[in-house]
Amino acid sequence: MLRYSLQKILSLIPVLAGISLIAFLLGVVSPGDPAEIALSRGGMSEATREQVSAMRREMGLDLPLPVQYARWLGNALKGDLGKSFSTGEPVGQALARRLPVTLRLAAYAMLLTCFFGILFGILSAAYKDRTVDLCIRGAASVILSLPGFWLAILMILIFAENLRWLPTSGVGGAKSMLMPAVTLSVATMATAARLTRSALLTEMGKQYCLAANARGIGKYRLVVRNALPNAIVPVVTLLGNYFGGILGGSVIAETIFALPGIGSYAVQAIYMRDYPALQGYVLITGLIYVIITLVIDILSLVLNPKIRLGGGA
Amino acid sequence: MNRSAKTKFKKLIASILSAIFIFSLAGCSESSKAPQGGSSAKPVSSVNKDAEIALGGYRDLAPGEKDGYYCSSILYVWEPLVRQDDNGSPTPCLAESWEMSKDGKEWTFHLKKGVQFHDGQPFNADAVVANFDRMKLGIKKSSFYPLDINTFYPGLKAYSKVDDYTFKLTFNNPAPTQIYNMVNFGSPMYSPKCFDKEGNFSGIAQGTGPFKIIENVKDQYVVLSRNDNYYGTKAKAKTIRVKVIPDADTRFSALKAGEIMGVIDLNAIPVSLAVKLKDSPDFAVTTCKSTMIRFLTVNGTKFPFNDVRMRQAVSLALKRDSIVGDLYGGFGTPTTNILNYSTPFYKEIPVEENLEKAKKLAKEVLGDKRRELVFLINSGEVTQKAEAELIGSWLSEIGLDVKIQSLEMNTLKEQLKAGKYDIARMQQGLSNSEPFTIFSRFMLPSGDQNKNYSLGYHNANVDKLMEEASAALDMARRKEIYNQLQQISSEEFPVIPLFNDMTLMAYSKKLTGYQARSYGIDLPDIAWKD
Repeated sequence: MLRYSLQKILSLIPVLAGISLIAFLLGVVSPGDPAEIALSRGGMSEATREQVSAMRREMGLDLPLPVQYARWLGNALKGDLGKSFSTGEPVGQALARRLPVTLRLAAYAMLLTCFFGILFGILSAAYKDRTVDLCIRGAASVILSLPGFWLAILMILIFAENLRWLPTSGVGGAKSMLMPAVTLSVATMATAARLTRSALLTEMGKQYCLAANARGIGKYRLVVRNALPNAIVPVVTLLGNYFGGILGGSVIAETIFALPGIGSYAVQAIYMRDYPALQGYVLITGLIYVIITLVIDILSLVLNPKIRLGGGA
Repeated sequence: MNRSAKTKFKKLIASILSAIFIFSLAGCSESSKAPQGGSSAKPVSSVNKDAEIALGGYRDLAPGEKDGYYCSSILYVWEPLVRQDDNGSPTPCLAESWEMSKDGKEWTFHLKKGVQFHDGQPFNADAVVANFDRMKLGIKKSSFYPLDINTFYPGLKAYSKVDDYTFKLTFNNPAPTQIYNMVNFGSPMYSPKCFDKEGNFSGIAQGTGPFKIIENVKDQYVVLSRNDNYYGTKAKAKTIRVKVIPDADTRFSALKAGEIMGVIDLNAIPVSLAVKLKDSPDFAVTTCKSTMIRFLTVNGTKFPFNDVRMRQAVSLALKRDSIVGDLYGGFGTPTTNILNYSTPFYKEIPVEENLEKAKKLAKEVLGDKRRELVFLINSGEVTQKAEAELIGSWLSEIGLDVKIQSLEMNTLKEQLKAGKYDIARMQQGLSNSEPFTIFSRFMLPSGDQNKNYSLGYHNANVDKLMEEASAALDMARRKEIYNQLQQISSEEFPVIPLFNDMTLMAYSKKLTGYQARSYGIDLPDIAWKD
């Protein structure tokens, strides 16, 4: 496992270099001049041609593209992710400030998804084709078709504006994270419930479960002790990928609930053609994604020792 | 399922439900602590006039050390040498008075005495020189306006201290309208001790304003405290917290939920939401002239808009009252003048609407044929779609069939620059009330917006008038020239103006003194109502 982990960590270097290059190229081919955008502020101020030229020089945009990228990569290897084109703030500093907000949001969303997703999946499988199962499956279908932003606005209207139980926005205690976490988690919760149900039912249809059932083993033991450990592996993989997905997909929740995380930072960077900010973001999320994949692999191995890591013998 | 299995299963469900209950309680217990925003999140007693007032804005109004201004002028933390009044005229602030030399090349400023920065440093000519030294270091990026000495002081040759409270600027050429260039964001003053070697702030900005910053959590909120040593009329509120709430609907909900007492900054509240508050017993909307003008740009480098008659036809066919009334809740003023109405140089020009005349002019250009046009709109502004559809329906009556394309702003600008469009919806802010910049940008062949928007506009008479204006030391003559330029702009339409915008702010009626200004509100005047 150690060798596998090392291999995985080493594979990070070309992966990160590759995705940062792609991010850089995508930024460059997108229409819009970062210098002009940084100065004009969407038509609020009036950048002159001379100002734009001076800003381009300051940003290093007058240099050939390979030089720009090589310079950024060289600095990144030394731990310097550069300065944001739009704010002038060091990118590393901005990401360090924003990442905990997104991680916290992701953790809350993950908690809700794991807990309710697996719980509803178990209940649904245990009471297959009975009222509980039908209700959960129906609810899952409805939830899956709800747009996240709509749900967010609806929750704000009900729980913040009318009932005043929860704050509309901002970073505060657990209460402030509840609505954003629910917004982020409902769809995956439904998917996790469905996946848990189908995986459990598949396991419960296998001979060892049928034999156990025939020998009179109780349903609790059959489902939770015997079938669940085998059925949980694909669910864990789903949830792991989902956690990584939150890092890039939390922008709606972050914007609506005024949470200054890295999702909203990336969107702002795209809008402002802020290449250093965007590349820094890509680097961090890429890094986290690879780490998560590694953790999932190890976790899967712990849950099911029969799995072979890295496809080796 | 046998009995023991059933019991175990029930136990499992019971444990799960208990866990849910505990989880909910955990959520409640943590959240029962004052949420970020502190006391402001709860209804505040009307008798406690010192209770914190929370406000909300769409962006971070105190971006911090790397921003050229640290925070926006609307927080009243720093003050400029020269401010701008409601009519756009320069008015004294830290400079009590000023005078221009006869040749227009020297400006002398007499500074206010007895003023201290928040860190206790005295405000005097040395401090002003230190601030100019800082500006000389190069353009400072900002979320508000780029802090660039060449923009605010074009042709500046030297700056110097005359005595402790007198300061002088010398220019290469006559600069009769310099005072307009340097209002508000053009002459911010900070304690010289709060800059680092690069001219960035080394900590919280130390200005001279009626408020000082006591806490700044980037991207979340900034807390202002009354400056009890302020030299002028002190602020009424003791503490103000300005929160960052980017989403307009969330800001609106936060206002209605009592988490914030008002919204400030640009885009404080969309018209569609402001209309809902118009007749509310608990909330009010305050308005003021905005420096923003909304207009249509037309591609004057190709047929049919290279013909002035076609531009005139479009302007005549537009029902600007309907746009403002039906789509913007009446918060705007129709105009055909390229110059925004918040400057003292603005000339009132009647808006003409005449469909028959428009049809006649269009027929002269198009003949009996109809023309299909590409109408570009900004996908980031939802109202633009409805607006374009409305305009499209009027233009169809003069033989123009528009095809609406919604693009992201930067892509849209690229299309404009490349001339790959016919009509587009744009907007422009007036950075100061001296209109020379606006005229030169849109009406001179060398003007950057003339090129950026492929306007293809050229009028030899305009070039001549602009040349004359740039040399005119007599303000009356300058105003006369500006009047002529405005008249020409509303006859030849380098762009086709739609309406002048309005600054909209909404607030809870628990507050008093909440009055919108062209940018921001009079923050020192707001207080809890008795």
